[in-house]
Amino acid sequence: MATTSGFLCGLDIGGTFTDCVLIDSSGKITISKSSSTPEDFSIGVVNAISGAAKKLDLSLEVLLGSIDGLIHGTTVGTNAIIQRKGAKVGLITTKGHNDVIHIMRGSRGLSAQDIKLIVHIPESTKPDPIVPKKLIRGVSERVDCMGKTVVKLNTDETYNSIEELFSLGCESIAICCLWSFLNPSHEKKIKEMVTLANPHAFVTCSSELVPKWGEYERTTAVALNAYIGPTTVGYINRLNRKLKELGYKKPLQISQCAGGTISVAKANDAPLLTLDSGPVSGVTGSVRLGTELDTANIITTDLGGTSFDVGVIHGLNPTVSYKSLVRQYEYFLPKVDVQTLGTGGGSKIKVDGITKRLSVGPDSAGASPGPVCYDKGGKEPTLTDADLVLGYLSEDNFAGGSIRLNREKSVESIRRLAKQLKMDEYEFAGGVTTIAEFQMADLIRKVTVQKGLDPRDFVVFAFGGAGPVHMGVTARELGIKKVYIPFGDAAAVWCAFGAASADISHVNEKVKITSSPFDKDDLNNTIEELEEKGNSQLEEDFVPNTSRIFGNSIDMRHKGQINEVEISLEEGHLTKESIETLHSKFTEKYEQLYGKGSSLPGSQLEIVTFRSRAAAVTQKPKLIKQPITDKPLAKDVLRDTRNIYWVEQEKIVPTPIFDGYRFRTGNVLDGPCVVETDTTSIVVHPDQLIRMDDVGNFIIEN
Amino acid sequence: MPRISELKDINFDGIENPYIPPENLKISKKLSLHKEFDTNVDPVTYEVIRHNLWQINEEHGSTIQRLSGSPVAMYALDLNPSILTEEAEFVYFGPYMQYMSGVTDTQIKWTMEYRSENPGINEGDMFIANDPWVGAAHQQDVMLLCPIFYEGKLFCWIANCLHQYDIGGITPGSFCPSAESVFDEGLMLPPLKIIENYEVRRDIEAVYLRSSRKPNLVALDFRAQIAGNTTARDRIKELLDRYGPSVVKGVMRKIIDNSEKSYLAKMDSLPDGEWIDRTYIEACRPGDRRTHRVVIGLRKEGNHLTFYNDGSAAQEGAMNATYSGWRGSIMVALNELLCWDQYFAVGGALRHITFDPTPGTLNCANYPASVSTAPIQSMEISLYPAYNVLSKMIYPNPNLRKDIMCIGGTSQWPATLFRGIDQWGEQYGYLLIDPIGGAIGAFSSADGINTGGQSRTPICQLPNVEHTEQNFPILFLYRKELTDSGGAGKFRGGLSAESCFIPNNTALITQDTLSSGNAIPTSSGLMGGYPSTTNAYKFMTDSDVKKHLTESDMPDDFSQLSGKTVELQLRQENFEQKPDDVYAVRWSGGGGFGDPLQRDPKKVLEDVDNFAVSQSAAFDIYGVVLDETGQLNTVETESLRQSRRDKRIDRTRKITRKGTLIVDISESLQICSDSEGSFFACSNCGMDIASTEKNYKEQCVQEKRTFNEVNPLIGQPEIFIDDSVEYRSFCCPGCGALFDNEIALSSEPILWDIKPALVKYSS
Repeated sequence: MATTSGFLCGLDIGGTFTDCVLIDSSGKITISKSSSTPEDFSIGVVNAISGAAKKLDLSLEVLLGSIDGLIHGTTVGTNAIIQRKGAKVGLITTKGHNDVIHIMRGSRGLSAQDIKLIVHIPESTKPDPIVPKKLIRGVSERVDCMGKTVVKLNTDETYNSIEELFSLGCESIAICCLWSFLNPSHEKKIKEMVTLANPHAFVTCSSELVPKWGEYERTTAVALNAYIGPTTVGYINRLNRKLKELGYKKPLQISQCAGGTISVAKANDAPLLTLDSGPVSGVTGSVRLGTELDTANIITTDLGGTSFDVGVIHGLNPTVSYKSLVRQYEYFLPKVDVQTLGTGGGSKIKVDGITKRLSVGPDSAGASPGPVCYDKGGKEPTLTDADLVLGYLSEDNFAGGSIRLNREKSVESIRRLAKQLKMDEYEFAGGVTTIAEFQMADLIRKVTVQKGLDPRDFVVFAFGGAGPVHMGVTARELGIKKVYIPFGDAAAVWCAFGAASADISHVNEKVKITSSPFDKDDLNNTIEELEEKGNSQLEEDFVPNTSRIFGNSIDMRHKGQINEVEISLEEGHLTKESIETLHSKFTEKYEQLYGKGSSLPGSQLEIVTFRSRAAAVTQKPKLIKQPITDKPLAKDVLRDTRNIYWVEQEKIVPTPIFDGYRFRTGNVLDGPCVVETDTTSIVVHPDQLIRMDDVGNFIIEN
Repeated sequence: MPRISELKDINFDGIENPYIPPENLKISKKLSLHKEFDTNVDPVTYEVIRHNLWQINEEHGSTIQRLSGSPVAMYALDLNPSILTEEAEFVYFGPYMQYMSGVTDTQIKWTMEYRSENPGINEGDMFIANDPWVGAAHQQDVMLLCPIFYEGKLFCWIANCLHQYDIGGITPGSFCPSAESVFDEGLMLPPLKIIENYEVRRDIEAVYLRSSRKPNLVALDFRAQIAGNTTARDRIKELLDRYGPSVVKGVMRKIIDNSEKSYLAKMDSLPDGEWIDRTYIEACRPGDRRTHRVVIGLRKEGNHLTFYNDGSAAQEGAMNATYSGWRGSIMVALNELLCWDQYFAVGGALRHITFDPTPGTLNCANYPASVSTAPIQSMEISLYPAYNVLSKMIYPNPNLRKDIMCIGGTSQWPATLFRGIDQWGEQYGYLLIDPIGGAIGAFSSADGINTGGQSRTPICQLPNVEHTEQNFPILFLYRKELTDSGGAGKFRGGLSAESCFIPNNTALITQDTLSSGNAIPTSSGLMGGYPSTTNAYKFMTDSDVKKHLTESDMPDDFSQLSGKTVELQLRQENFEQKPDDVYAVRWSGGGGFGDPLQRDPKKVLEDVDNFAVSQSAAFDIYGVVLDETGQLNTVETESLRQSRRDKRIDRTRKITRKGTLIVDISESLQICSDSEGSFFACSNCGMDIASTEKNYKEQCVQEKRTFNEVNPLIGQPEIFIDDSVEYRSFCCPGCGALFDNEIALSSEPILWDIKPALVKYSS
């Protein structure tokens, strides 16, 4: 019988399954999966917990009563955006500036990453508006850059605007006034009036959600918050109620995109914080695993059917961005930086009719029709088809056997293209995987180098069905020695595990543009103000004083320059000495990012943003380590022998296929080989080896 | 005046005359070139290295972006990195400011010809350059050229160009609207070795910074440029070490060859001919009330294209561009319409393109004409008509047709140059960046993009109002998209916007205007589409704005204010804006495509709902009838549209020729042939219009209309210019279909814009 106390529970809703991970105080993991229930996701969540209870031979009530922390990552908000099923939002803003989110900020919300849309303008458009012009009302009011009120709020206009928006059927109201981050009084008043007019409506204002400099990114943030608000809040409250009724006694925590968790109350105000928290939990889980493995620098990769997500963890801290992008809309929000790059198993292979150029992506066959081998009508071969042709994938063990692949069709479609280049299908498919693997290396290099980091100082964690197939080569190309494929129970439900590892955390920011020479007291006052705010938020989360930790930072730049660099304040506050070293700290960080000599000595500096992250250290899941033994390979570890074309050897070689579940810690095998599990194939090239470490992860070593 | 090709015994060396590289560069023996290349790079290695080179160029650009100090450069992303072969053929050119393309290769070629002997081009050197006669759009665009060597031989070049905040001259910011020659403008540097053997030459750097009003910002930008080149150089060297020079060079050559192949295939699918477009610049110096004609001609003979500017006005005042500026403008359109699928690898296409302008004209000015305003005047006015001639050229191929783009917003930049003491007590001088918000013109099968940016800068960043207000002592009353600002058409051009501000926390702002396209629309539509709004300045002194503010009645349109209206001229200098004075600037929008009467009425209704089109324009321009509740009346709409078309019909004309279709040449126009030869015919009703030997427009029903009838936001040209201008529409005499429109001085003949030469189509 399992222990009945001290459980940590992570819950993650995916497109198909809802995962529940329970970890007891000894580190034992129990996993349960249940079908996701899109009509009301909380049903699937409860089913998944019940499943876990059953496995532990406990009643649901007893189990819930023994859970110390229940952390949930929700995709309800993300789904509302993808399916464009958000609320009807009304926007109230400063009169004269109604068009802020329609004008956007040039380039139609595209960056150099969307290169095809950039070079071919006829293919690009602006995104559908989150709020149509008809539902935007400007009201007379104005604050200037000093925070001074230039025009008092016209309450008659405001009243009428609110009435009109509700009469047009708005379900939620977003408020963003110019310079409200310096002087929020008008926004607050408008919010009060909205609540008075309709106490049940979801209402959000920018000075509370994202008090940052830049009205466009603030407006998109509140508009998105209002758009996903009613659905997300409804869902979270329903789940919270249900769990309480079923016997859960502690506060429910919700995963947030900044890499920690927030309370239900905070999620009610700022549902936007839950957006994209899924992939972020994966990064949080990686930090946890990195801690256990004593590995501080990690590049997390998740290569799925349609996307390639990359996160960077440096010194066990995930890199964070303060601006995010959804549907071409840039918005302010501190978020663990997970960059989505346009490659995946579904990336289409093409040979240009005129130039005969062979390319992989960026067009994707998506999930439907998907690769040719899915046999769902896809005609153009994809990276997955190339993997199948080479023998990396098995026809009947793809996604645990849930999809049977049609190799013949892949071969046929690839041969057709290969002929145009006078190659055979193997050589061609090998070329395709090389191109994809090298391009992913280029993209990872770019992501790390832009952060001033050298990829060779990192290990790669490979997630996603296609990751372990390709990351070995990608890592080798980057000069990275080790690729971890998290395995064992935790890997299967990575995001839920990540959720369970997360700390309660609040990021508070304040923009106060201040030029050097700096006044120590002035800076410290601002920092203290933010800490105080975080402190009371932790108070509301019932976090004891002793578990509270604060990390403060400031964003600085050369005066007159646009780009900012985040400088963390190790001592929390500024002292007479540390203020003197601010300049050199800035120069050091700046030159780390941009290269030696890039900073201009002696130039005036400016602080733009002050930031304080308040966190509570929570109980962490522990991994059970097995002693490394020299036990030989299990006899039945060899599952099969398959003909695989190896690019390095330029030939087909009968290659052993191993059963991942028969590995023991400490086992080491030389490449070439393939290790199969239910979710992926680990491809080990001729010059590589694979081992299983003491927590059951696979490691490809270059 | 003779074209370049007709001039003999002239030294095009970039001193008095523009530098035009000879076919074979004269390079000192001291510089040996790495020319070996692998002709047989396999497709996989090719694709791997190709992607790498693209990424290197992209990393080069983003390095500069992250380091550059100047807000002008950073918001407008007025920069571009490139990779070129050892003989300066373009391998890759970045997706930022496209103008800079035409000037990079010439700078490098000149450097090789004139600097390889003395002071020599060696490993670890970089050259700084901004001489517009050698190759720079204008003096503010400073280029840093970096040769990359492999084992002592020049392997390739990388280069970047970055617009500088201020490099001197009579106007802060170095756009000098009243300059009469380069001697009034910023520092001019023919390629100069500023980095020698990996060390910055401090003496040269000091000379460079000395002329600037903001030497610190220029110094920071210089560091950004060095870092960009260093990053790219290191990464290319890694490639050389790994794959060997002949493989990498083989890939570079193949990128160019592929772009050439793709270009040739496109050319092969298109009929030959000649296409011409005409537009005008207004005011070349303060007080000037004339128009200055700009003509672009494109001749296609087989695979070869020739661009010329016959008929363009003479160089004068401060509106000019040099040869390389003009070439750079046309290359923007070439890249975007013909080379986008090769990611702007324009080198291959350039092997088949001749630029043959006439020296001494406003867009091929001789030394020492003033050229500091080139990118927002002569280059812009040369670029956008280039879209039109290229669009007409590619129309016959239905696959290429989807790449057509009408002239977009800010087709002439209405500059707001303002200066004074800011709210923090410091001196400032700035060019308002807001017009970068632009608009994208209509496509041949979709509407343009409202405030979608300027197409010549595919990646740019419009500053937030809060950014501008933080840095400068102004308070925006509004910044809004303008109803009806997009050109009408079967597909509508994107809307543009207007910014309006008052001084805040300062007693006085001193301003200059610098604009064109305020009298005559410069975002003309295409193939029947109408023009967008013109640019507009609005200025009111001693207004009641403070009363509005005190009474919590924020004005969100200029018309809500009372005061003394002042008509600002296009080069008004040193006018003062005091706290009660209100200033607004509007930029042109995107041109429309196709006959507005053919626009789906449901789309017009949607436009009205989204404030893109006013109710009155829906009726007047689109012929769409909405009832009192705003619902579409389909029956009345159809009959209104028919009655309008009926008015364009010439009932005396009958169909006299019927032939076989050869090619669709425009939205409602095709070329047919019969026993007597080829002729233009209406694709809707089959009416034969004219022989292809003639200007078909002469045989159309011609309507003259006021600008106001085609775009309600266009004002009165006579405020700015003395010339009389007209709007001409050319319609099918048989069915009233609108073939095309043109904007012209009343004294000018009808433009002969399409001259098909259907040699290979006539079979």
